[in-house]
Amino acid sequence: MTNSFVLRASERGHETIRSTGAESSYIAGHPDGFLTRQSSFNFHEYQTGRPGFGPIRVFGDEVFQGAGCGYNMHSHHNFVICAFVLEGELTHINTAGRGTVDQLRAGDYYVFSAGSGGKHSELSISPENMNAIYLWVLPEQLYLPPSYHRAHFDLRKRRDRIVQLVGEADGALPMPQDLCVSRLVTDAGKSFLHHPRSTAHGVYVFVVEGAARINGEALERRDSIGVWGVDSVKIETAADASDLLIVETAMIDDAKIKQWEKVNGEVWH
Amino acid sequence: MDTPLKRWICLGCGFSYDEALGLPEHGLAPGTRWKDIPEDWACPDCGTPKAMFEMVEIGYAAGGPELASAA
Repeated sequence: MTNSFVLRASERGHETIRSTGAESSYIAGHPDGFLTRQSSFNFHEYQTGRPGFGPIRVFGDEVFQGAGCGYNMHSHHNFVICAFVLEGELTHINTAGRGTVDQLRAGDYYVFSAGSGGKHSELSISPENMNAIYLWVLPEQLYLPPSYHRAHFDLRKRRDRIVQLVGEADGALPMPQDLCVSRLVTDAGKSFLHHPRSTAHGVYVFVVEGAARINGEALERRDSIGVWGVDSVKIETAADASDLLIVETAMIDDAKIKQWEKVNGEVWH
Repeated sequence: MDTPLKRWICLGCGFSYDEALGLPEHGLAPGTRWKDIPEDWACPDCGTPKAMFEMVEIGYAAGGPELASAA
């Protein structure tokens, strides 16, 4: 049985979160710092959408607006948090292991498995806006040892093929869940057939830049599609410099999501 | 009566509440059921309301329960 949903860029949950007022202990850059977030799934103030996809609970497109903005030190447990920096520079201070101070630029990404607990702060200290995609995944075990890994995806050199960045593969960052993240950067008129590991694995494709048809569904910049119960996912790019994030996941931990789908209709546009 | 003890995860930060362990330092004895926690309770780590926790059926990593009791 095939199931899918399409989420247009403008249909995502939009939040502007300021460093003053209720969120002031979280949001850095008082008094004028603020960040914007477009959430594909329910998160924080946005609770009227889809609860998630498989074990994914957050897929956020965030912009730290200007120098000095971001998140002050805050605690996490359990969730595996992936971040893909698209623009600007992210200064990331993380307590996992012996602690890390990291700076990530376009193409860089990290996987922070919060496990038994860690704290982090994320800041933009350069003048240009910092845009990153954040992905939060439920882990396969609670209270794992916290870990932080990071790598670089060279958008110029690793073009024209689907490259796995996170999950069980050579060169990919480890992910304590049956989920992998790949990236495809290529020009218009290219066609790829992606085979999920099984029909029990779903695929969530997010168009970072450009345009593509996914199983015939036309998507534009920051649109996305989730599809599951299929043998293959056809990706046809429709614009030059198209940039797609492809998340393949076991469709697990989703009793609440299936319940939501029943109430809201299985295929949701 | 004999429903297994469950775990709940904060969707704001990942803090996990384990019915078996409770949160003694916050006045919730081990064995305190989720339904018996007041509805105005919030995540001790991030303030996310009780309603935005999700029940999960995920086992602990080795050494997990000990770390969770000490948390």
